[in-house]
Amino acid sequence: MIRWDKRVKLLFLLPAVIWVLTLTIAPLFFSLYLSFTDVKREVVISGITEVPILDKEGKPKTRSDGSVRTKKIKDKKLEITYDWVGLKKYKRVVNDQEYQDAAKFTFIYVIVSVVIEIILGLFLAFLFNRRIYGRGFMRSLMILPIFATPFAIGFMFFTILFEVSGPLAWMGIPFLSNHNWAPFSVMLVDIWQWTPFCFLVFLAALQGIPDDLIEAATLDTKSAYKVWTSVILPLLQPIIVLVILLRVAEAAKLYDYIASLTKGGPGTATQSVSFLVFNKAFKMNDFGYASAGSFLMLIVVMIFVLLFFTQLRKTYE
Amino acid sequence: MYNRIFSIIITVISVIAFCVPAFAGEFVNWNDDGTVTLTHEDGTEILIDRATLGAAYGPDDKPFEGETITILALDSGPKGGISGPLYSARPIWEELSGAKVELALVPFADLYSKMMLDMKNGTGLYDATITGAFFYGDLVDGNYIVPVEDIGYGTPDYGQWSYDSIPPNLRKLHEWNGVGYGVMNDFDGQVFYYRTDAINNPEMAAQYKAETGDDLRVPETLQELLQISAFFNGKNWDKGDDDADYGTVLHLKVGEQGHYHFQSLSASFAITPGPLDKYHGVYWFDPDDMTPLINSPGHKAALNFLKELHKTGPSAQIGWSLGEAWDVFLRGKAVFTFSWGDVGSLCQDESRSNIKGVCGSIAIPSSTTYYDHEKQVMVETDDPVTYGNTTGGTWHGVVSQFSENPEAAYAYLSFMATEPWHMWSAANGWTGVDPGAYFNYLEPKGTATMDQYDAYGWAPTDIQMYSDAYHENYTAPISLEYLRIVGTPEYWDIMDKNLSAAMSGQKTTDEALDDTAASWNEITGRLGKDRVLKMYQEAIGYNQ
Repeated sequence: MIRWDKRVKLLFLLPAVIWVLTLTIAPLFFSLYLSFTDVKREVVISGITEVPILDKEGKPKTRSDGSVRTKKIKDKKLEITYDWVGLKKYKRVVNDQEYQDAAKFTFIYVIVSVVIEIILGLFLAFLFNRRIYGRGFMRSLMILPIFATPFAIGFMFFTILFEVSGPLAWMGIPFLSNHNWAPFSVMLVDIWQWTPFCFLVFLAALQGIPDDLIEAATLDTKSAYKVWTSVILPLLQPIIVLVILLRVAEAAKLYDYIASLTKGGPGTATQSVSFLVFNKAFKMNDFGYASAGSFLMLIVVMIFVLLFFTQLRKTYE
Repeated sequence: MYNRIFSIIITVISVIAFCVPAFAGEFVNWNDDGTVTLTHEDGTEILIDRATLGAAYGPDDKPFEGETITILALDSGPKGGISGPLYSARPIWEELSGAKVELALVPFADLYSKMMLDMKNGTGLYDATITGAFFYGDLVDGNYIVPVEDIGYGTPDYGQWSYDSIPPNLRKLHEWNGVGYGVMNDFDGQVFYYRTDAINNPEMAAQYKAETGDDLRVPETLQELLQISAFFNGKNWDKGDDDADYGTVLHLKVGEQGHYHFQSLSASFAITPGPLDKYHGVYWFDPDDMTPLINSPGHKAALNFLKELHKTGPSAQIGWSLGEAWDVFLRGKAVFTFSWGDVGSLCQDESRSNIKGVCGSIAIPSSTTYYDHEKQVMVETDDPVTYGNTTGGTWHGVVSQFSENPEAAYAYLSFMATEPWHMWSAANGWTGVDPGAYFNYLEPKGTATMDQYDAYGWAPTDIQMYSDAYHENYTAPISLEYLRIVGTPEYWDIMDKNLSAAMSGQKTTDEALDDTAASWNEITGRLGKDRVLKMYQEAIGYNQ
């Protein structure tokens, strides 16, 4: 029998559980179901009743020829049928060259962006992990990009990277009009926004390492490189893994920067999986393809996360 | 005593206010001579006669009192294209009709899904939508929209307008199988714009003659355009600043209407002139069996030409949408562009344009070479015919089958279709409503007068050329057919991406268009070939 205090705990949890179930879990499973079905929607009108439109006094409104204005009340019923098609949509997605290109771009984007963010974040954390004048102010300035809206950042970089008269136009680089440079430009935006996040987390972790441990290691080896590789990095490993996981999961959802900067172009050079499935769903009404494409991406990301967690567990063991 | 005096004063003022004629409203003034003055919130006035306004309206008649309608449209803000006129008309029509108008404005990316979800679910959230013509296939296929004759068109009750005032090529976009569904509003088609001062510059003319042996003139063919554009590209011909100018500027960004450039330009390469049949007048598909024509030699020649033309402008334009490209032309940094009517009217807006008075326009020149689908050869001609186009959205209102107030929705749309209101919209570039009705063109081709456009700040030389260009475009004997079948957004999306890939060098011309054709076959198969073929034949008016 559940004790009263446990029941109270459950009661407090209930709103959050209902929220998550209705707004996250249920749509997720419905979306999964959509990816295995063909949906047909038909509005069946079983009867039409014509009724006069009345004015404020209850009298029928008339047209200029004296005829009464009417409105048609339709007895309508929405009939939705779900035809099970199995893996048909997944096969379509997997065989779709456009999806393959989007997946390839997303994969490269995630790997390159996250690796650079981790390295830069560590470097900046190392630089800031000392007593320097104005450190607090500079740190606050450095983390501002995290709070900016991705869409707004995309538009801001459109201006910065504007090839004709933007501030970087003198470089003569086709940032957005060349299919080789455009992916780099999108990565640049991500790196600009999320390196501060990595920096912030790594700095906090660095500051959590006891100073006497570092001093002892320095006395032993007299080599900063060895101190870093043998002491600091191993201690930071759990945090680094966590940041990698968070960044990979976030970066794989790439949409906003593309929507505001390149629209997936030129051609499909910067089209990510999220951007592709969004357009398929909402511009072309192809929800089945979009669901299947999204779940395939989810599976890949989940595999990656599981592999990492497995590696992390092994490290602790 | 003072209280009594104060009360008397208040009473007198109230009586005077009450006695002011009831027909002098905030936005609507019923004049004694049978006309009505409609006043915008910014003070601009439009005069309209009562018959044109509609017999249902009157100083004491508010035919839709107590009703509320919701209009779904693109969101460009209160002073932006397409949504702007809806904002302007709303308070005036609300005062006229007694109804309330809710505007449901969404970004372009959301418009189709919002409209179709509402239609497919039969929820009737939106009484009417300002739709693009490319959505007609889906709307008609699902029987989602109401013929205008069922809800007031042709009666004297509401705003008076007529399909007869629209050239046939545009009228088609408002009808399906001869039944009218759309209420006229915006008319889209691309024409060719050029700097008259560049073409008439004696120094440039001499230089051009020396370099090419030809006379500098307004290009009469696309091939001549390419030559002139290449000549101007990189020269600081106007000395307006220290920077060199461009030949032709284009808006080629994927997902941002770049593919329309290709459509308009390729028409004269890819369409075999002649009355519509299996080989002539067709552009998208074989009308007998839905074989894609998009990778025909004519289409490929057009894409190769567009690539060459692109080299005479800024390389960055591959990533430019309308705003960036138009800005370059309006600031005077490019000699040529081809685009919608918005450019012509924006040329007159001196807050954005440096080229008012020197903004020339003509129907897009044609190619001297085109593909003969029947003989399957490229044909050279010295005298190419004009190919018209209705490229673009031609954004206009359609009323939903699930609306509970279809007549009210129609009445609101028809109010904006009346000649006086439409002239105001078409003459002001910010509205996004481009001209196309016969009453928009200047005399003698239409019925508009120079004074009407002068009142809105148009330079006389510019509007004369603009009016003639659009008239020629919309009344051309051959016109690029408009794709209005179920799935049009999907067909165009894949074409758009492949065109952009070709322009940026990611794919060759052959790869881009062959891939497009292959994807189109897959889409047709998935949507149902017989269903799509039937729609295509109906849309283009093809009888086997």
